[in-house]
Amino acid sequence: MRIIRSIDIPSGSSLACLYREHKIEYPKFFKMDTLCKLGFLATELLLEGDSDRFVPREDRAVLMFSRNGCLANDINYEKTMGDYPSPSLFVYTLPNIITGEIAIRNKYKGETSAFLLEEYDEERIRSIVEEAFQDTVTTSAIVGWIDCRSESDWTCKAFLVEK
Amino acid sequence: MEDLIKELKLSIIEALNLEGMTPDDIDDNAPLFGDEGLGLDSIDVLELLILLEKNYGIRLASPKEGQKVFQSIAVIAQYVTENRTK
Repeated sequence: MRIIRSIDIPSGSSLACLYREHKIEYPKFFKMDTLCKLGFLATELLLEGDSDRFVPREDRAVLMFSRNGCLANDINYEKTMGDYPSPSLFVYTLPNIITGEIAIRNKYKGETSAFLLEEYDEERIRSIVEEAFQDTVTTSAIVGWIDCRSESDWTCKAFLVEK
Repeated sequence: MEDLIKELKLSIIEALNLEGMTPDDIDDNAPLFGDEGLGLDSIDVLELLILLEKNYGIRLASPKEGQKVFQSIAVIAQYVTENRTK
């Protein structure tokens, strides 16, 4: 297994500015919660310029790891529950939506999984990614430690990894 | 009507998290759903239903009625003018 590329989005960066700077056209981005925005942008930056972008494929997995999952969005959603619970916040109250957003954008039809760990654990992440490569289909993966603590506080590291 | 249209656009931008958009980016008569116009989806319909009830006291009777009302900003504005209770 080897890391082909990596990307780090510093905590507190303006994600909207990053989106515009890279001339990305995907209006749904603005509806995502911060966790999904981070996963989406990290993947966009990792794959920027690849000639085979958006060709449907089954051989690339999306494996995301974090400590807090979608907790930041859950808190925002909870605030709306006393009045009119927000449907658009509700749809992001699952920690694995991030993998779905990335797979939909990039037309990936392979494995997608989200894992919650007590803390960043490189060995454990490596072991899970290696396990994903044990099937007969997966040859590469988008892997991320994307831990969103609030809309302006996160750790976001993502990697393009090959078998 | 012009004020209501602007108010609706601002509310929709906020409710649907259409970040980076301004009222001028939304054509009064463009379709709200599908690939043209705003490209809204089924979750957005739910947000729009809430918006009408919360801001204007309008409770739509059925999703079918929603399909008619949410055709464009201009159609929503007309419906709000005729049916608002607040």
